[in-house]
Amino acid sequence: MMHRPAYPPRETRLVMRSVLIALLPGIVAMSIVFGAGVLLNLATAIVTALLSEALCLKLRHRSIQPRLSDWSVVLTGVLVALSLPQAAPWWLTIAATASAVILGKHLYGGLGQNPVNPAMLGYALMLISAPVAMTTLWVDPLNPPDFAAAWMAFIGHHSDAYTGATTLELYQSDFRALTALEAKQYPLFAKAQLGFIYGYEWVALAYLIGGLWLIHQRVISWQTPVGLLATLLVISAFFSVDPDTATPVWVHLIAGAGIFAAFFILTDPVSGATSPKGRLWFAIGVGVLTYTIRTYGQYPDAIAFSVLMMNFAAPMIDHYTRPRIMGREASIKGPGGQS
Amino acid sequence: MAEYQIRRCDRHLTGGIHPETHKQLSTAEPCEFVDTPTRLLFPIHFSGGGPGKALVGVGDPVAKGTPIIRCQSGIVHVASRAGTVLDVTDHAMTHPSPEQSACIVIEPNASDLQDYLSPMNWPFDAKALRERAIEAGILGLGGAGFPSFKKWSNRTQTLIINAAECEPYLTADDTLIRIDTHSMIRGACLLSRTLDIQTIVIGIEDNKPEALQAIEGALKESRSDCFFDIVLLDTKYPSGSARQLVWLTLGIEVPTGSRSVEAGVIVHNPGTLAALSRAIDGKPITDRIVTLTGESLTRPKNVIAPIGTPISHLIEATDTNPQSLHSVIVGGPMMGYRITDFSAGITKTTNCLLAREVEIQPESPCIRCGACATVCPVRLQPQQMVAALKGEALSRAIHEGLGDCIECAACNAVCPSNIPLAEWFRRGRFEMKENAREHQQASIARERFEARNTRLERLAKEQEAKRAARKAKSADALNKARKAREEIS
Repeated sequence: MMHRPAYPPRETRLVMRSVLIALLPGIVAMSIVFGAGVLLNLATAIVTALLSEALCLKLRHRSIQPRLSDWSVVLTGVLVALSLPQAAPWWLTIAATASAVILGKHLYGGLGQNPVNPAMLGYALMLISAPVAMTTLWVDPLNPPDFAAAWMAFIGHHSDAYTGATTLELYQSDFRALTALEAKQYPLFAKAQLGFIYGYEWVALAYLIGGLWLIHQRVISWQTPVGLLATLLVISAFFSVDPDTATPVWVHLIAGAGIFAAFFILTDPVSGATSPKGRLWFAIGVGVLTYTIRTYGQYPDAIAFSVLMMNFAAPMIDHYTRPRIMGREASIKGPGGQS
Repeated sequence: MAEYQIRRCDRHLTGGIHPETHKQLSTAEPCEFVDTPTRLLFPIHFSGGGPGKALVGVGDPVAKGTPIIRCQSGIVHVASRAGTVLDVTDHAMTHPSPEQSACIVIEPNASDLQDYLSPMNWPFDAKALRERAIEAGILGLGGAGFPSFKKWSNRTQTLIINAAECEPYLTADDTLIRIDTHSMIRGACLLSRTLDIQTIVIGIEDNKPEALQAIEGALKESRSDCFFDIVLLDTKYPSGSARQLVWLTLGIEVPTGSRSVEAGVIVHNPGTLAALSRAIDGKPITDRIVTLTGESLTRPKNVIAPIGTPISHLIEATDTNPQSLHSVIVGGPMMGYRITDFSAGITKTTNCLLAREVEIQPESPCIRCGACATVCPVRLQPQQMVAALKGEALSRAIHEGLGDCIECAACNAVCPSNIPLAEWFRRGRFEMKENAREHQQASIARERFEARNTRLERLAKEQEAKRAARKAKSADALNKARKAREEIS
């Protein structure tokens, strides 16, 4: 049995480092499943993130060294890279990371001041401004590119041979006319080793392991991942009474960014709600919005938009979810004081 | 033998932390008396019990026990040794504020001259005991310095002896319980008898087996008819905070804005009760136990020191050169404050001097991780409060519960960004109290003004009425005269 610390890490640097360590299994799984494009994205994003951070700190006349060495901006870069399509060209990764760091973080005052999740802001901006690249460059896990092909994709010459739409997109468009049984025959599902979706299932499992370790280390609290995953599970189970028309529960949980986001994106403490109850409501909100946008919206995945919307709701959630203070009859509700 | 029971506390502190206790550092050596220093210093306004007035002048001879300061609350502070008043001057103090304030400086001499009160004979009533507590200068020796007599209400059901001593490094209470158990028990019993309290609760952390044994021994010898309920608490900071202790031992949540007295509970430090016991015999507070500890001291230990002893003298008592230290912490590492002028004299609330090197980590921005909220024993959201205070939004911080903060600094201990949260809250709470005081004064002034207006109005009305009456009277007389004239003619 691993030793469980009594408190979260005692330094910001160590908090960020723990999250990066917890991401390692997921990174390894993604590199195996989707090829070297993942690593190329990561390297580009990390370098861009560090350079953007240094530039902003210099422009803002802040000391550069302490912020660069606390891993926070590296983490932002890694999260952006892991959210992008695996065959993304270099400019997409650079643009996404730079907007995450500059527009998402430093425009508001840097570390601890961002009202929304920087990584998701970068992702959403790219999804709106480069929709084709963001939706068609996902690697097919059944046929991942070798290193040379991944490099070609990185410098902007991708091949349709190994890219395509995501599983969630398949259900949104291609599978409309199919019954559940027919969809099950699709190679991605038929060849699955764990019985879910080929490749994706290993990635989800790896993120799950990393995420559970973070809870164990008290870096994140259970309310956030449980809130999101339980909401997705309950809503999608409820609406998939007719399996032929609805996206199955396990696709909702495993195919998209579900598990990755539950443990690594929604848990950004700065832009989320802060009390335990508040975190639960925040995650439930993201879950409801995600299901709604995935089902009725134009975009295949919806975590980014849902997170951004709930980020704006976080201060309100905080106002209504304060724990009851010892010695008081009830908890304080609502905003108060002149601020 | 007094009736007693020992039970393990079945409640667990919300939040709280398990810091390294470092208690064995100062309990290894036996408790010793320190030599009388060459100077004793008594701040006139900051000795505890509110601003005061000097009762002696330069050149006056004093005996051990001679009243030298009377505070606004009535509390009297006495000279802790016989000697001569050398000076009344501004001097550094053992106080969070680094500023100087008026102090009485006494030069002790070799005489054993004593000026004690007369012993009290049982039976006496609560009024007499209050009187005695005032004259003997009894106040909370745990660190708060609240005048004890103000806590004694006739509606009290329970007396809690706060023997938790949860603050790391501190062993002054532990030492007192071990060497002065009988006084403590006697003080508690006599107080309970006068206030008609049936149950005495002793809240003690389970890391003090020697103290517990001493209490048991004393209770076996005691002839008191009070019932003693000894509650063993988990060793967790801050279980010794008054509100937390009341909840842990009795399950009572003291409502926000009221004191434990209003909930029918008195909480006293063991030292306060021992001092009370001695005051009944006529001896005012002249000495106290001080823990001298920390890794920077050569020979840490507990000492019995005269009130007013300069800090440098106590540092020397541990075979340490005061010049080798940059600063000492008064109180514990959690709630204490730092002072650098070692010429200041200790007060009745100085329970510990801690000397250690601490590397100050640079502060980084709050990432709202919420670690502070998970350890807050009052269930506050310190991350929200500090954000409000940093944004100069005091009223928002108050709305978030700043007034409920007990300043225990557990949040400081876990913050990954090294934000001095507790310092922000101390400052915020101070400002809050100042505002409340100003507000109160303003409303008193307004009331006075309104009262004056009504008085003036009333006077004006009365005068008006009088004038009218006079007018009516003269008119009446005129009429009568006219009538009489008419009748004659």
